[in-house]
Amino acid sequence: MTELVLCDVSRRYGAALAIDSLNLTVSEGEFLTLLGPSGCGKSTTLASIAGLDQPTGGRITFGDRVLVDADTGAYLPPEARGFGVVFQSYALWPHMTVENNVAMSLKLRKVPSAERKKRVAEALDLVELGGLAKRYPGELSGGQQQRVALARAIVFRPPLLLLDEPLSNLDAQLRQQARVWLKDIQRELGLTTIYVTHDQDEALAMSDRIVVMRGGKVIQLGTPKDIYRDPQHPFAASFIGNANLLEVSGGAVAEPGACTVTLADGQPIHGRVPVGGLVSGKQLLAVRPHLIRHEACADASEITVEFGAESYLGDHFEQDVHVAGITLRLSVEEPQPRGTGRIWIRQQDAVVFCADS
Amino acid sequence: MAFLSRTGPHHGTASPPPFDRARLIQWLIFLVTASLMLAPALPILLQVVVDRPLYADDWQFTLGNIAQIFQSERIGRIALTTGLFALFSVIIAEVLGIAAALLIGRTDMPGRKVMGDVLMWPLYLSHLIFALGWVIIYGPSGFVTQLIAQSTGEAPWNLYSIAGMSVVAGISQAPLAYLYCLYGAVRSVDSTLESAARTTGAGPLQVLRKVTLPLMIPSIITSTALNLVIAVETLSIPLFLARPARIDTLSTFLYAEGIAASNPNHGLVAASSLLLMTLVGSTLMLQRMLLRHGHRYETVKGKGSRPMVLGLGKLRWPLAILFATVLITTVVVPIAGIILRAFTSFLSPLVPVSKVLTLNNFDKLFADEANIRAICNTVEIALLSAGLGTLLAVAVALVIQRSDFRFAGTLEALAYSPRVVPGMITGLGVFYAAVILPPMGWLRGNIGIIVVAYVMATLPLAMGVIQPAIVQIGRDLDRAARTVGADWSDAMRFILLPLLKPALLGSFILLFVFHLKSYIIAIFLMAPGLEVMGVSMLSLWTNGDVGVLAAFATFQIVLVATLLLLARFLFKVKIYD
Repeated sequence: MTELVLCDVSRRYGAALAIDSLNLTVSEGEFLTLLGPSGCGKSTTLASIAGLDQPTGGRITFGDRVLVDADTGAYLPPEARGFGVVFQSYALWPHMTVENNVAMSLKLRKVPSAERKKRVAEALDLVELGGLAKRYPGELSGGQQQRVALARAIVFRPPLLLLDEPLSNLDAQLRQQARVWLKDIQRELGLTTIYVTHDQDEALAMSDRIVVMRGGKVIQLGTPKDIYRDPQHPFAASFIGNANLLEVSGGAVAEPGACTVTLADGQPIHGRVPVGGLVSGKQLLAVRPHLIRHEACADASEITVEFGAESYLGDHFEQDVHVAGITLRLSVEEPQPRGTGRIWIRQQDAVVFCADS
Repeated sequence: MAFLSRTGPHHGTASPPPFDRARLIQWLIFLVTASLMLAPALPILLQVVVDRPLYADDWQFTLGNIAQIFQSERIGRIALTTGLFALFSVIIAEVLGIAAALLIGRTDMPGRKVMGDVLMWPLYLSHLIFALGWVIIYGPSGFVTQLIAQSTGEAPWNLYSIAGMSVVAGISQAPLAYLYCLYGAVRSVDSTLESAARTTGAGPLQVLRKVTLPLMIPSIITSTALNLVIAVETLSIPLFLARPARIDTLSTFLYAEGIAASNPNHGLVAASSLLLMTLVGSTLMLQRMLLRHGHRYETVKGKGSRPMVLGLGKLRWPLAILFATVLITTVVVPIAGIILRAFTSFLSPLVPVSKVLTLNNFDKLFADEANIRAICNTVEIALLSAGLGTLLAVAVALVIQRSDFRFAGTLEALAYSPRVVPGMITGLGVFYAAVILPPMGWLRGNIGIIVVAYVMATLPLAMGVIQPAIVQIGRDLDRAARTVGADWSDAMRFILLPLLKPALLGSFILLFVFHLKSYIIAIFLMAPGLEVMGVSMLSLWTNGDVGVLAAFATFQIVLVATLLLLARFLFKVKIYD
């Protein structure tokens, strides 16, 4: 098993820390996504693995090879690592044809011409661009360019594929197709892949595991289902699935399990604590908009609210509700009449975290 | 899928080279640049503090040369003249340049395109040619001067004065101020800035004065500094116009003491060179200090915005006529004068031109083998220097901008250091270096020595063309090359260099034209058989062969014009764009 291991990796720019003691292990064949808002350190992490950026602390190894070690000063330049990289900008060389873009890595490796031609053709067939070999990048559409970039990154059979927001320059429809297509290729080739994105849908749809990052740190690591259904941190809950975050107060809870919190106006909500160690006082309650109901159901806390403005989003409405000085977003099929009304939140859907996390 | 079935053993990485090739190449570029820049400077510094020429034996250290500079009343007077001349010429150049940039770049003045092109002529020609044109037309026995003197009885002006020199130098340097203001500010100012001012109620003229002009300040400072430097180091304008009136500037003094004198006082020459370099260096330092807060004038923000065109209204035609008159009298007429003089035996309002037409000057010009040699040498030297200079500039620029080389900052400072060294002194330094540094000795007596001096002197010029072009190329392109297995040098060779082709061509043509017309740098490096056009023209002037000189100048004008037109239409390269 060739594992990629990041151990205490940090990247400091002057006084700012772009990555803060990151630890991560990626196993062979895995599709791992680094997910977070811009500035969270995900691209810097990817660049450190690729060798395009040099961490100021920590160590990265791949199998038994040390890629970089800040303590010993060891540093392998990108060309000696041999990982495939797809850039957000695609970075296709505009003065070379598609064919030559893809063939570059093989030429540099002195692969004989016949074999080279065959492999370039295979790679272009794989990304369904066989007919465009003689074109220049400027003559291709965004989606085609992105495919060329992928073909260029995998033609030399790298042991690790690094993708930096490769779909962010495509329009919405194309992005969805590309997502399925990219995942298929990855699965067929069994390529270990690290994928950087700020798009939660991409992350959920494609990944074996997701690393949620913020401020250069790992917030949560887990399978897409874990991350979505069982957020361990209010940031994970709000960034993935847009959960409402409410300020509430409650008592101390040491172990994961059930708890009860109150809103500022005194209404109680029954919820659950995923990580424990909750101190009494101010706490944060996360609840997803589509899990807030406006009909009574079992095992749910009933809350009296004021229904407010709604906006039409095609397949559903989003409606504001006001309670105890805070505003919640609600996802409903039909908007509720404005004015006083009631909502229900099931205990399993109300997740309570420490206020300062 | 075929691809899948072949995913056997990974094809590994490109085998790492046994040594770090990229680092080696970067060091090599650094060392070449450092020795090229320092080799000529160090001997000058040495010459300042020794008591006899470096090539003599038994020299001893002394501070006498420096003392001599500060004690000499003559040098004080010369420094003052140089300062006045520089100041006046820069004021003229800046006023003309700024006005032209605003009028041509921003208004609906009729004929602005053609006038913009004519305004550039002096930049394509050497000071030597321009000064000659002025002497032929406006000198004491010049055509126009005589014409006016005939009717009024006395000469209307005296070109052979500080004022005369300043006008000629000012007009020949106006294009530089114009270019900086046009491209640095007038063309690139985001027009929304101006629109914003207009929405607050400012009229178009107020906008020009309160928004556009202040945004031009960095361009004005930069072009002022450059023009000051050029005014201080120019030789031919003071030599043609001031020497006859027994006025000396630092450059003519250096020329007289170092070249023309039978027994050159090298200590004094080196010490005055140092003085000149200090002047130039402090000017450029001042410019950098003034521009330290340059971001306050950040103008290039919006892209593709179309500059607002200002309607001049009733002033349209009067301004156009005024501007055209200035250009015709100061640029077109002197150049026409040179060409006319080349085809006549004598040029005077008293004799009809048709009676003195002749090809004699050209016959004489091409009859002299030394002149033919000068033309061949110049072309050969210009080709070599432009090629090598472009090559060095792109290598240095790539290390500075696209590598993690530890001394990239030092390299950049070194590469731009020739800016503080006036051209004549570059030549002097190379001459000294060839005398005392053994490895440079083999350059003596062949064109190599001039090529070295040219490459050194014009490195900042070439970098100025190439560096902005590198900035335009996204960093991901070479990073992508690294990830597929190219080391730094391969990434530069396969990706950056091909993408830089247009900039390299532009740099080559700019340098080639520059070297064709250059004469200052080569002055100290002349030897029999090593003539170049500019220096031969200078000696024609000294010998009083104005007819042959005008023919030579005409030849050079045609050569440069052909080249520029070829570049423009064949390669689509517009230099100074």
